[in-house]
Amino acid sequence: MTSKPQVAPIEFKPKFDEESLYEVHKKVHPRAVSGIFATWRWALVWITQLIFYGVCWLPWNGRQAVLFDLVERKFYIFGLVFWPQDVFFLAILLIISAYSLFLFTAVGGRLWCGYACPQTVYTEIFTWIEQKIEGERNARIKLDAAPMSARKFRLRAAKYGAWTVLSLWTGFTFVGYFTPIQTLWTSTWSFALGPWETFWMFFYGAFTYLFAGHMREQVCKHMCPYARFQGVMFDPDTLTITYDTERGEPRGARKKGVDPKAIAKGECVDCGICVQVCPTGIDIRDGLQYECIGCAACIDACDQVMDKMDYPKGLIRYSTEHAIEEHWGWREILGHIVRPRVVIYSVVLGAICVAFVWGIATKPVLRVDVIRDRATLAREVEGGLIENVYRLHVINVSETGHRYSIGVSGLQGIDLASERTIEVPAAGAKSISVQVRVPPESGKKGSNQIYFDVKSLADEKISVHEKASFLLP
Amino acid sequence: MLKVLLVLWPSFVVAGIAEGVFFTVIDPRELYLFGEPVHFSRLATYSIGFLGFWIVCAASSLMTWFLMLGPSDLNRPRGRQE
Repeated sequence: MTSKPQVAPIEFKPKFDEESLYEVHKKVHPRAVSGIFATWRWALVWITQLIFYGVCWLPWNGRQAVLFDLVERKFYIFGLVFWPQDVFFLAILLIISAYSLFLFTAVGGRLWCGYACPQTVYTEIFTWIEQKIEGERNARIKLDAAPMSARKFRLRAAKYGAWTVLSLWTGFTFVGYFTPIQTLWTSTWSFALGPWETFWMFFYGAFTYLFAGHMREQVCKHMCPYARFQGVMFDPDTLTITYDTERGEPRGARKKGVDPKAIAKGECVDCGICVQVCPTGIDIRDGLQYECIGCAACIDACDQVMDKMDYPKGLIRYSTEHAIEEHWGWREILGHIVRPRVVIYSVVLGAICVAFVWGIATKPVLRVDVIRDRATLAREVEGGLIENVYRLHVINVSETGHRYSIGVSGLQGIDLASERTIEVPAAGAKSISVQVRVPPESGKKGSNQIYFDVKSLADEKISVHEKASFLLP
Repeated sequence: MLKVLLVLWPSFVVAGIAEGVFFTVIDPRELYLFGEPVHFSRLATYSIGFLGFWIVCAASSLMTWFLMLGPSDLNRPRGRQE
């Protein structure tokens, strides 16, 4: 008797959802919205973009006010000049930014994403252009579905053209923060741009176009790390965009002004406008989702519908998990802002900010590096004196040129046999070779500690007292 | 598209950080290329440096993505596409 062995089919289950890596993306056409939060977002679009497009054109002391001069390795921010040695301040600035983000997120949720993130801001501008050219949401959906025609071609060309101009201008502005923008402007029009300036201009422009024009919410959903870890900064007292399920459900259509109780329904009229205005295409009524960038467009939209229905506003509103559960008003919500997490973030942030400001205010305006000349350790010169040679690298971090005196002390009879002054231009650096001579009997054999004193002739307070070692044979 | 993003985007971010740290500490003029001091302009060195970092990081991301392929991607019969 032969029988085929029975093999139980093993169903293979992938460990993680591989399908999600190939998500089919449906284009989101957000409906335009007006209201208090939309106004706030536009205000921030204006503020951030006036700063970005404008500040690079401001002059300061005969130079660009804000310039990250990579070629000269100096960063100018108004009256301050930063050298690579000041990287410490950049590190602190990053820590401040991170802590601010933690604090704002713990208190108000994704405020950054909803109002200030460049991705949001540029998407807002690009969508506005799209809407001006192609029309409102329905017109755009129709245009997308329509076959190519002369009209569609004209509209598309206008839209892509406008986007391109804006993107190129953005790329130009970006490069203008690293190369003096006035020079950049003149060389653009005389076709004398350097290859790398041209490359970065198009690179930044192309990415602006791609991110704000085509990818939009995809950037937030798939590329932004913050969207993925913001959850750990939330707690039950964090303000988030919340749909009041208790008040809204069961949802359903009805005529204007109908009392929800009379028809045994909640206050949600299920008009779907909150979904239509959502730039990431989610339904806020399903609860808090990581895709929600906290832009509050659904709040503005729902409030308008509530007004039309003569229902109180705030079916979708800024609220907290606790507040929804306990039916708290604003007084209780605000009362719960002060909590250990927020206090700790604030204290740490405050301390770092104070340290930062103090560090900038007391930043030295003169730096001196002393480097021993290794080629000639010590040699005897005329008069039986012993000579050591050093290189002084004098960095003038201030905005004015200075002449500095060079002095040396620490051993009996110590003196310089070289130039005693050095002139260093504003925000410049110079190296000088100095010969120091000492009578042989004034120190012990081997290494002796000496000091260089570099002082500004114009301002006694600008001085550096720098240690060095003098070798006696 | 998302596959491309998963490789190019994290590598871009990390390359940006690497570029910042590397060139803060090292002046391009201190670099040597095949035993000769680098003679490009600083802007060119920074740019090539960034693109180089990006390529290296992208190679790493590409390998991560490759190793993350599940059995169902690898077990398909020989010669069959998709």
